Amino acid sequence: MKEKKLYTIIFTFVVSFVFVLILSYINFLTYDKIVENQKFSKISAVLNSMGIEYKDEKDALEIFNSTVKEIELGGLKFYVSTVNGEKVYAYVFSGNGLWGTINGVICVNENVDRIIGIDIISHNETPGLGGRIEENWFKNQFKNEKIKGEIKLVNTQELGDKDKDNSSVDAITGATLTSKFFIQIVNNSLAEIRKALRGE
Amino acid sequence: MGKKYKEVFLKNTWYENPVFVLVLGICSTLAVTNNLKNTLIMTIGVMLVTGFSNLTVSLLKNLIPSKVRMMTQVLIISFYVIIVDIILRAYLPDVSKALGPYVGLIITNCIIMGRAEAFAQSNDPIISFWDGITSGLGYMIVLVAIAFFRELLGFGTIFGYRVMPENFVNWTIMIMPPSAFFMLAIFIWIVKGFKKEGAK
Repeated sequence: MKEKKLYTIIFTFVVSFVFVLILSYINFLTYDKIVENQKFSKISAVLNSMGIEYKDEKDALEIFNSTVKEIELGGLKFYVSTVNGEKVYAYVFSGNGLWGTINGVICVNENVDRIIGIDIISHNETPGLGGRIEENWFKNQFKNEKIKGEIKLVNTQELGDKDKDNSSVDAITGATLTSKFFIQIVNNSLAEIRKALRGE
Repeated sequence: MGKKYKEVFLKNTWYENPVFVLVLGICSTLAVTNNLKNTLIMTIGVMLVTGFSNLTVSLLKNLIPSKVRMMTQVLIISFYVIIVDIILRAYLPDVSKALGPYVGLIITNCIIMGRAEAFAQSNDPIISFWDGITSGLGYMIVLVAIAFFRELLGFGTIFGYRVMPENFVNWTIMIMPPSAFFMLAIFIWIVKGFKKEGAK
């Protein structure tokens, strides 16, 4: 009986050790690729939020390295570039969604009175419901949206709010809470950006 | 020999289908069926994990002490799920982003542990592998069928391509969780009807 107990313990130990060893090796093999993917998803999000187009991964990296500068202003890190003769500031935000952290990029103009664009880097919202914050119709609503006080949520009959001057975006049907949390993140980021860029 | 494989195949995909006969894996059936692409990739993940964990459990079955049997099975299952997660993150970052937490949740799918416990513990490795793959296939058939109707009616698309006419009004309920209950119930209802016919 004693032997059996010992065997159980040794077996458990050996089995765990072997499987974890294999896993860490696989993780080691793919680590660079995953880091590269994460880096690319950040770069592509910054470019998307600025409205800069690119063909593929390599192209995106080149454009990013040649036209986008990283600066620190008022304690915040910004990615700065010039698009159509206008200086734009992209800021990487992070905040609580309904199920987990939402990371993304928001880009504004120098006066912080218009959003240039928004993109999502990562989120843990329900696929098909809150996960739809990633869809273009939702993100495009923020493009060129005027910032008048806070951005508000509205419910329109069609997909997306087309009015660019009302500082409002359409909420996602079936994902009211995610929409609310997302707007809150956007407004908090805007407040921080305003403080950093205009000292308000 | 071939007869036994055919028997396992028919049993797992039809007579004892894990979803509509054994009613296992319902959580993911309800949660990940509003988008065909995500559904397909998740179910392929489940299929591979079930197959390989069955194979491994069957190979180790004479070494595993009965006291830590379940624990070892969970270890093996999570081992394969983490591999699937790493591969998705390294080579299919977009899909990994869309599926989010659902890849990790494959671990909790009762079909996998059910097959390991009910089949792999008492059968040879190769047929256990086959049993796992076909169980996964039985699961996939049901989920893909449900996702087909949910995506078609909820978004008007199939695999993201628009098939419904432009003026088709999306049935938003189809994207939301309640419709999964209706669709699954209707599915089971129809299948049970067919089975009764067959029994006559």
